[in-house]
Amino acid sequence: MASSGFNPHQPLERIDDEQLPVSPHKQHGARHFLGLYAAEHVAATEFVIGATFVGLGAGIWDILIGLIIGNTLAVLSFTLITAPIAVGTRLSLFAYLERIAGNVMAKLYNGANVVIFSAISAAMITVSATAVRVLFDVPPQVAPYPTDVAFVLIAFAVGAIVVLVAAFGFNALSEFASICAPWLMVMFTAGGMVLIPALAESVTGFTTLTSVSDFIAIASASVFTGVNAEGEPGIGLWEVIGFAWAANTFAHFGLIDMALLRYARKVRYGLATCTGMMFGHYVAWISAGLMGAATAATMKLSIMVVDPGDVAFYALGLSGFVIVVVAGWTTANSNLYRAGLAAQALMPEVKRWKVTMLVGLGVMGASCFPFVYRSMLPLLTYAGLILVPVGGIAFAEYQLFPRLGMTSYWASFKGLADNRPAIASWLLSLAFGVGLNVLDIMPFYYLFLPTWCVSILIYVVLARRAGACEAYPEQQRALEDFHQRVAERHERKAAEKHRQRIEDKTWLSKGIVVIWCGVGLIVPAVLAWRVMFDSPDLYEYYVNRELFYDVTIWCTLVYFTFAYWGLQRRKRFKRGGVAAHTPEAAG
Amino acid sequence: MLLRTVLVTGSLTCVLSTGAALAESSPISALTIATVGNRDMVRMQQLSEGFTAANPDIELQWVALDENTLRQHVTTDIATAGGRFDIVTIGTYEAAIWAERGWLLPLDDLPASYQVDDLLPTVREALSFQGQLYAAPFYAESAFTLYREDLFAEAGLSMVESPSWEFIARAAAALHDPDEHYGICLRGKPGWGENMALLTAMANAYGGRWFDMQWVPQLATAAWRDALDQYLSLLWKYGPPNPEQLGFNDNLALFQQGKCAIWVDATVAASAVTNPRESMVADRVGFALAPQQGLGKRANWLWAWALAIPSSSTSSDAAKRFIAWATSADFQRQVAEDEGWAQVPPGTRRSLYDNPHYQAAAPYSDMVLESLTAADPGNPTVDPVPYRGIQYVAIAAFPGIATAVGNRFAKALAGEITVDEALENAQWVTQKVAEQARFADQ
Repeated sequence: MASSGFNPHQPLERIDDEQLPVSPHKQHGARHFLGLYAAEHVAATEFVIGATFVGLGAGIWDILIGLIIGNTLAVLSFTLITAPIAVGTRLSLFAYLERIAGNVMAKLYNGANVVIFSAISAAMITVSATAVRVLFDVPPQVAPYPTDVAFVLIAFAVGAIVVLVAAFGFNALSEFASICAPWLMVMFTAGGMVLIPALAESVTGFTTLTSVSDFIAIASASVFTGVNAEGEPGIGLWEVIGFAWAANTFAHFGLIDMALLRYARKVRYGLATCTGMMFGHYVAWISAGLMGAATAATMKLSIMVVDPGDVAFYALGLSGFVIVVVAGWTTANSNLYRAGLAAQALMPEVKRWKVTMLVGLGVMGASCFPFVYRSMLPLLTYAGLILVPVGGIAFAEYQLFPRLGMTSYWASFKGLADNRPAIASWLLSLAFGVGLNVLDIMPFYYLFLPTWCVSILIYVVLARRAGACEAYPEQQRALEDFHQRVAERHERKAAEKHRQRIEDKTWLSKGIVVIWCGVGLIVPAVLAWRVMFDSPDLYEYYVNRELFYDVTIWCTLVYFTFAYWGLQRRKRFKRGGVAAHTPEAAG
Repeated sequence: MLLRTVLVTGSLTCVLSTGAALAESSPISALTIATVGNRDMVRMQQLSEGFTAANPDIELQWVALDENTLRQHVTTDIATAGGRFDIVTIGTYEAAIWAERGWLLPLDDLPASYQVDDLLPTVREALSFQGQLYAAPFYAESAFTLYREDLFAEAGLSMVESPSWEFIARAAAALHDPDEHYGICLRGKPGWGENMALLTAMANAYGGRWFDMQWVPQLATAAWRDALDQYLSLLWKYGPPNPEQLGFNDNLALFQQGKCAIWVDATVAASAVTNPRESMVADRVGFALAPQQGLGKRANWLWAWALAIPSSSTSSDAAKRFIAWATSADFQRQVAEDEGWAQVPPGTRRSLYDNPHYQAAAPYSDMVLESLTAADPGNPTVDPVPYRGIQYVAIAAFPGIATAVGNRFAKALAGEITVDEALENAQWVTQKVAEQARFADQ
């Protein structure tokens, strides 16, 4: 019988760190996850999804209430399903799958990831290309396919940069992406605020709102109208809840975010996902909807075909161009990088950069087609449907087997190269989910729930028959020994790290933070506030908006310059490169 | 068996008594009416007891607001299909635009007794869309010059029938005596229906226009500058203090108190300033046409406050009954009985101007009728324009633009910015809106 992918007797030095449980000294507190999730979920996708809700005809109350309920369910899913397994195993789903299901399952899983992450990456390249299109005066691409050669060239050019960076310079871009989050949060909020007076004026002839109920009334008349792009009654509360919950099913029910939450010191830090859900998937979606609707009204186009470049440019001026390019680019890159990694796992003999380039070529081709990014919400929902059974299998293995008197890691203990019950469970559950979709028995955004349950049920039944009920005491002891060796190694590493730790308390670093925070974030926020609340008429509105546009682009430059400088200084401190002897350190 | 009989009997009694109670009380329609808080509308509210007495199935709830506030509340409600109002008071500007957007119900089945053909053609046309009436006029107005005959006589002046703005300026200078009265009162309160109504009409007389035939804004032109200069000069030199705070109602009150020697404003003011119960100068008021500048256009206008039914109303039948009553010739007769013929809401019906009682009570009636019938919203300016409307431009973007421009001009009046700045600002904001519209069209 062939051996499985995981061998507990293997020397630790031969195992990639990614395959080992996270060391305690690398674990983080709640603040880290609050920031991480805020950053992860304020991306270019939000521009698209916000507009999609408008196009699908959600009503204002359905949005305000439905998104809260759906996102709360998502936070609870992260907290109650993903975090316990992530914190319990300290492994990414990929590493965990290798242990519980063997190589074939892991490869299938990686294959699915290649497709999903490539599609997201292609969509985000298109989003960036829509902003570049505005600069080159290329007409909007309102058809599902490209209608202008220049747009194809732009999409290829942007795509080429994304592919090259993902292949060769991902770490640098990843660092850059890490400083974008606070700026993106401010700009998303500011974009909505800047356009609310214009929306109000387009409805009532007045730029001012006299009460919150005015905002509700205007938003319901002009943005979240309850009527879809075809003029028919739109989606309702249940659909909004479903979409919000399902938009990240691959991350929570599908357990992809085990990769992030394995670093959490406590299970309850799963609640920190609320920053991403309640800001990125609430404020940013609503703000993006407002921006999209205002732009569509101005351009007299359906919101379904107004592209993010126009929306951001109209809402935020030149900074809008930056936001779409930066948000689209960083999102595209991280997803292409993930797709490349997943593809390399399928072809371990080929170098990562070559695989990434290969996948990138396909991504570049897909990025020429606007329908890919316009299908973002269903794409994420279906992606979730594909990956949710894998999450169900892992959930059953981790949570249910011990409670049902079955043995976790049974396939590995039994020495199976392929956990066929797991593969069969995935395929059968997928067939079940797709079948439900074809029969149109229930809305597709809720399909993940029965599919997840069915995957658990099938896996429990099949695994029980295949040997999960048996005891494997010898293998259990080997696994415990392995964990003991891992713990000792972590302790050694933690001691080394501790010696190197240097706190950056220099005045220069503090000054850098004050500048990017004050000039880069607070000034645009104050200017946006002024546009929204101090524009009693169109003249004042335009003056305030022009000032916002003119100043914010410089604030953006200051923000990125100083935030990147600060990031580099922090890195040098961490490496011990900036010693406590430098002159500014003395201050 | 006894218990069963008791239960059945009790149930039947309950059902029957409930049915009887329901049959006794016919359904009550509660109409919420949004109206502008001027004297004629307040009078309508006071006389509405007669309507509710004749229509016990209808209750009236009034929301009376000042002009600017009314516009914002009504527009927000009607544009968002809020359903708060069953009847709204709108003007000639809104009627066609809102009707085209489907926000109003057509008044296509008014009873024969309403005599819709009695409505003055210019007013009826201004409140119609594609030939269908969408708002029934309560009163209509043009603009003219009101002046104090006694003060003119004391100063040895005599008013000409068709004064020029230069004549008005000379007269205002001669009559200005700030301890007793101001030489002239003009609307200064910002708002597209307040200072901008007068200033647009003034600019028309000076040869100005909002847009040329290519929709290029024309506010930074000599005509607008001359009009604005004259307006500011008049108010700064001979006007009341803080003129930027004074709208139609404020100036009416000043004139009634004898504080204005000349006032150029709406013809509807005539009955108020000649009513001895309200006006201290009722017997000393003269009237002349709106000032001109020798270019063939006067600073007059055409406006009607009218009652319309939002599409969102759930009591449209009751609303129609009320509108048919409030804008009818019978209502006018009711006002005449209670208050005298001079107080009848003017400007809507030909029969009123043919009525000898009215002609006797309102000596200005011929001038008002002449101003109303001469007003031509289709040809409002010296040079051709691509829009309709005299003191407004009948496009959806106008309230936004004119509110902004009105605020800039009010700032100039208050001395906060210069005339050049005000005109540059006005041109800039109008240009921005025009560019946006062109961008959208492209």
